[in-house]
Amino acid sequence: MPEEATGEGLAAVDRYHQDYGSRARELKRQGKKILGYLCAFVPVEIITAAGFMPFRIKGDVNEPITKADTEMETIVCPLVRSCFDMALKGNYEFLDGIVIPHACDSICRTYDIWKYSLHLPYSHFINMPHGTGKPSLDFYQAVLNTFRTSLSRFAGREISDQELTQAIGLHNQNRAKVRELYELRKASPPLISGTEVARVLIAAMSIPVEESIKMLGDVIEEVKQRGGVLAQKSARIMVVGAQVDSVAFIELIEDSGAWVVADDLCPGAREFFSDVTVTADPIEGIAERYLRKVKCGRTYREMKGNYEEYLEDRFGHMSRMIEGFNVDGVVLYIYKYCDPFGFEVPQIKSYIESKGTPVLYLEDEYSMSTIGRLRTRIQAFLELLGSK
Amino acid sequence: MTEEKKPEERKKRRTATEAASRIGPMVKATIGGTVQAREEGKPIAYSFICCCYDEIIRAMDIVPVWTENYAGVCGAKRDAQRFLERAEAENFSRSLCTYALCGLGFDAWREELGEMPPESPWGGQARPDMMLGSGQMLCDPRNKWYQASQRYMPDVPVYDVGLPWPPYEDDYDYREVQDYYVKYIVEELKGLVQFLEKHTGRKMDWDRLSELVDLADRTWNLIWETYELRKAVPTPMGTGDAMNTMVPMVFMMGTQEAYDFYKELNDELKHKIANKEGEIPDEKYRLIWGGGLPAWFALTDFNYFNNKGAVFPVETTYRMVEAIYHFDIDLSKITDPLEHVAWRWVKFWTYWYDKAKKRPGSHPDVERLIQYIEDYKIDGIVMHEAFSCRSWHVGLIWQLNQLKKVYRDIPSLILESDIVDISSYNEADTRARIDAFIDTLEAVKSRGR
Repeated sequence: MPEEATGEGLAAVDRYHQDYGSRARELKRQGKKILGYLCAFVPVEIITAAGFMPFRIKGDVNEPITKADTEMETIVCPLVRSCFDMALKGNYEFLDGIVIPHACDSICRTYDIWKYSLHLPYSHFINMPHGTGKPSLDFYQAVLNTFRTSLSRFAGREISDQELTQAIGLHNQNRAKVRELYELRKASPPLISGTEVARVLIAAMSIPVEESIKMLGDVIEEVKQRGGVLAQKSARIMVVGAQVDSVAFIELIEDSGAWVVADDLCPGAREFFSDVTVTADPIEGIAERYLRKVKCGRTYREMKGNYEEYLEDRFGHMSRMIEGFNVDGVVLYIYKYCDPFGFEVPQIKSYIESKGTPVLYLEDEYSMSTIGRLRTRIQAFLELLGSK
Repeated sequence: MTEEKKPEERKKRRTATEAASRIGPMVKATIGGTVQAREEGKPIAYSFICCCYDEIIRAMDIVPVWTENYAGVCGAKRDAQRFLERAEAENFSRSLCTYALCGLGFDAWREELGEMPPESPWGGQARPDMMLGSGQMLCDPRNKWYQASQRYMPDVPVYDVGLPWPPYEDDYDYREVQDYYVKYIVEELKGLVQFLEKHTGRKMDWDRLSELVDLADRTWNLIWETYELRKAVPTPMGTGDAMNTMVPMVFMMGTQEAYDFYKELNDELKHKIANKEGEIPDEKYRLIWGGGLPAWFALTDFNYFNNKGAVFPVETTYRMVEAIYHFDIDLSKITDPLEHVAWRWVKFWTYWYDKAKKRPGSHPDVERLIQYIEDYKIDGIVMHEAFSCRSWHVGLIWQLNQLKKVYRDIPSLILESDIVDISSYNEADTRARIDAFIDTLEAVKSRGR
């Protein structure tokens, strides 16, 4: 096990979070190949099995988007634009390739822009279907096998079933550690703040999975040892949204007098609460997990039963989390130009409210410039919760 | 209830062809027909264009309600704002697809009233018995819109057809994967037929489907041949008209009426060419509409271009066909109608791949622009970036940049507004930009003289 993360959980987190990509840069110097990816729908198991390091490309809410606008329309999701801006500005100069999934229009329709602008040795688009039925699952397996073949060509060697199974085990362990970390949020007050958790998850996106497992384990031990150091606050909040790869918004809520104790976000519960089942053909288990188990607005879940049952199928995991983490209120935090989540807002909001939990819906632009406006809304929401 | 607002007075666009001028009444009659079909108890399906299922629904006598079309009509009549505002009041962001927002706002209002909203354009949008979405590489609203509509119509079932096509990649040829794409699409279309049979109580007439698929093939070829006539100098028909003549292509495919329409258009264009009758008398600049859906409320901008001596002999938008006989497989040998449709779909979307591979740094979308620029003797490119639609409006800047890198620098203009939301449009600003663009075209022409 590399020493970089050993024995210093939260300190390692701070280091990797502050200098995002520093570990990938080090490994690159040692000869490791690094593949950047967007969104939680890239099956990182296959990249790990090929001997490459999967590295999640993130944006920066503090950095004004400038360079990206010369290539990418401003009607693209601001998070994707920020990610691309960061890449164009040389923050991810260590990448050997990019892998982009068919997640949403903003990601799908910009694949060529990424591919042609960054001139990386490797690029691949994973054409994930929207549906979850048997034909979609079969098709997705074929798509993943094409990815496996493509990566094998780039690696210059076959990717064996054994390597895939091993990688599945590692990424499952990583997810299990995150779930263990989330358990620490159930206490009142939580043993770890939402801001700290967000920082941990962001740091984990930038290091090899083996190191992430170790780092998460160290963080869990450290937090348990420090015990209940956090003060009681007025409310326990859950945040629901797409990819929130900055702590700024979580920090804003916590600075306003509440704890963020749960989420349905990436990185967050959405991508860490379901595992890959180990199957004889490892691709089968991977396909099943990403297509059917990860519940995200980008995937079209076919209606079974009546409308109420359909809402339960799509959003039931949110209400279970609200209950399990004793949540007082939900903040639905959606970026402008986000089609998969934007169309779900009325249904999610009414579904959660129908269970008795108040919801604040905020539309944002992935920029620190909006923080003042958001603070006012959040403070008003917390006051509302306090008066209940 | 959303407060009723009077639409602004709309200026009608001047058409060059008689065929294009017939489209408005045709659309009006079609929309009115769906309302009547509802009253008569015929099965009605909310439908999207370019979803492979035209012949299937026609073969089963299901009445399609083209929801994008209705939103476009509301936009063109400058009467969409009240529906957009209604959707916004429902907590849908105004940054989402305004076709969808207009439709959702309309549906929410109609369902609340139990009847059409007051003075609905052209009689309103009929309540469906089913909704047919699709999952493609193209457009998220196609699988999110109808799912969101179920909030207002929870009893109306949705079928979402998976319709991917192989991406353009460097490290493998699309032919390595095309078989499993076709297999998947066929399975999805089979599922659609089962869904329609279940919800209509009707059985698919497979022979009739085969006939309609054949008719659609012939219509594809005819459209391609007809549009190729626009290469003539002066061009007999511009993009302004094509934004009308696309109606039978995308809303009536698989009908004899569509085929006949293009036959008449073909004859009309040949007649105009024989008489050297151009869209405008003095054609100075030949432009391509190189991307983006039009601002439906501002189609008179095409007349403005015409007034400056500019014509659009070609466009990439809504040119959703290729000549079937140019495909690298003989579709006539694929007798299973669903498989036939699936191969046609995959071959359409991959049509420009081989050509792009031959030019280093090129891309199918860029290669298509290059081909049209050369074939249609194009002087400049105009695109439109509609803020609410990522499907057709992302990648335009990049395509222009790439075109410059792999081909040549050519004057270009990207207009900005929306497809439906008129609040995004500024006529004075748009026309000032067109004026400046015309000046650039003139300067380039002068240098070349």
